[in-house]
Amino acid sequence: MTYLSRTLHALLILFLVVFGGFPIYWMAVTALSTNAELYNTGQVWWPQIGNLPMLLADLADVPLVRWLANTAIVAVGTTLLSLTLGALAGYALSRFRFHGKGVIGFLLFMTQVVPEALILVPLYAMFISLGLMNSLGGLILANVGFSLPVAAFIIKGAIDAVPYEIEEAATIDNCPRFGVLTLIILPIIAPSLAAAAVIAFFAGWNEYLFAATFLMDNTHWPASVGLASFIGQYETPLSAVMGAALIFSLPAVLFFLIIQRKIVAGITSGAVKG
Amino acid sequence: MPHIELDHIGKSFGTTNVIRDFNASIADGEFLVLLGPSGCGKSTLLRMIAGLGDITRGILSFDGRRVNDWTPSQRGVAFVFQSYALYPHMTVRENIAFPLVMDAFRKWYHIPVVNTVMRWKLMRRADIAERTARIAEQLELTALLDRRPANLSGGQRQRVALARSLVRDPSLYLLDEPLSNLDAKLRTQMRAEISTLHNRVRKTFIYVTHDQVEAMTMATKIIVMNKGEIQQIGTPDQIYSDPANTFVARFVGAPPMNLLDVATARGTVSIPGGPSWGHEAAPENALMGIRPENLVLNPEGDGPIPVEVVVVERLGAETIIGCRILSDRRDQRFLDTDLVFVRVQGNPRIVAGTRYALSYAAEDVRWFDRATGAAIPHATALPNCA
Repeated sequence: MTYLSRTLHALLILFLVVFGGFPIYWMAVTALSTNAELYNTGQVWWPQIGNLPMLLADLADVPLVRWLANTAIVAVGTTLLSLTLGALAGYALSRFRFHGKGVIGFLLFMTQVVPEALILVPLYAMFISLGLMNSLGGLILANVGFSLPVAAFIIKGAIDAVPYEIEEAATIDNCPRFGVLTLIILPIIAPSLAAAAVIAFFAGWNEYLFAATFLMDNTHWPASVGLASFIGQYETPLSAVMGAALIFSLPAVLFFLIIQRKIVAGITSGAVKG
Repeated sequence: MPHIELDHIGKSFGTTNVIRDFNASIADGEFLVLLGPSGCGKSTLLRMIAGLGDITRGILSFDGRRVNDWTPSQRGVAFVFQSYALYPHMTVRENIAFPLVMDAFRKWYHIPVVNTVMRWKLMRRADIAERTARIAEQLELTALLDRRPANLSGGQRQRVALARSLVRDPSLYLLDEPLSNLDAKLRTQMRAEISTLHNRVRKTFIYVTHDQVEAMTMATKIIVMNKGEIQQIGTPDQIYSDPANTFVARFVGAPPMNLLDVATARGTVSIPGGPSWGHEAAPENALMGIRPENLVLNPEGDGPIPVEVVVVERLGAETIIGCRILSDRRDQRFLDTDLVFVRVQGNPRIVAGTRYALSYAAEDVRWFDRATGAAIPHATALPNCA
């Protein structure tokens, strides 16, 4: 790599880092500004650490921990259920031949075409009938409906790439079908599982529409609905909103940082001939 | 150790018959090689014996018991795949121990998370650890036990695959072209290792290959297959010396048996438009087959078949000489089918374009029916040709 291309490469990475990181930085700057600065005198460009006690005082009365816990329950529940069912569905779609396989694949794909808002009313009726209103379990189910097909397709694609001989070898070695899936296939496709987990987790973490519709009790709210409740008719405490949003985004960033190594390992694993 | 019977075995995919009416008996401790070109159904047959593929027709029995519906694990077979099929996320030690760990697994051990814990625990069980270490030592894998398959060479991976198949001490070993991904040198080495292994464990081996060198060097018995049908069953010597038909004659041997399109009449053999010579008891409407090493290259005029050297392949210990029979035919092409190959020892000074004469001993000739390609029973100890 020449000096020029190395420099261009570095500049490009720098630009992408700034482009991606600036909103988070700006969130921190805004959170540590006073509302007077934000609405009247103009915002400064750097974080004012001295305003931290004031921010903490503003957030003291907000049930942020509960909201974050609710969000985590929804996100983790959505991820676990999507991956479990997605692994079974993906394996069946990849390895079994059965009538209607193409139709099932098509219908799963179609779930991605239908916008959430479109099924909100029918889903509302179903939730009332099933007694799922105002429950985090119901919210998880609604989210899984959207993230499961994506997970199933990602996992199916990954299993397609695993040589069938490996499964046959495991069968010869006295491993039953379910064991083949859990002991052999899933560890091999771990990077794809990580990718599916990221999608399902963020679908659950960022959930707003269903939560705002189905959860009436503010103790069940996830952080997204809680944050939106800051917006008042006459006043919106911008610094408190941004402070809460910052706290809301940190666990998600942490989750991604933990799992991204797996994803990168998966992307590069086929690059070098074994 | 099972005595294996394949009784009218057939396999179809839809309307396509891949294997038709396959009958064979495989004795205990035999090293049977299924030899044939790609697509002849030999791997399909091996997979049916392993239980990895359904049997469409016929009965497969081990020691007289019908096993058509048995699972692979019930059959107690080991299978070595062409691509080795090692578990890429496991170390060599885990790969080798996997069959033992699975044998010790109870149903509830397969519950996610429990399975990982139990596998970890079983890997440390004394008998499993000891047996894994012993097999690894036998196959010189001890130093590699903590590596993953991606960090091994082709030969090492092959040895891991063999170790994994050995560890459970099965009664039947099935090997599906296990050496085809190795380079020539390693293939020779692994060939010797597999033969040694067979001599040591004294179990039944069924080995699939399209490489006749592997078949000839390792087998105690060979089944030559083509288009889903058995062409010949016999020892390597029988297959080579007395091929049952022109397919076997041309498939086994490198270069293959020379098949001369001759006309025969009243003790005389002649090449249309070319030379003729005396040959007692030559059948009519037959192709004349003779192995390259049974032809003798003489100076011009000192033999019944005048030839011109076209190709000289020097292999070091021996030389293969491709000759064209001198005839008046104008449609002769420089193709393998038209050339007569002669194998001579050493590295003689022979150059292309030189003319020689070929001779042979009559007992080395094999005759094949021109219409069916089947071998015609030959009389031995005939006098040398004129």
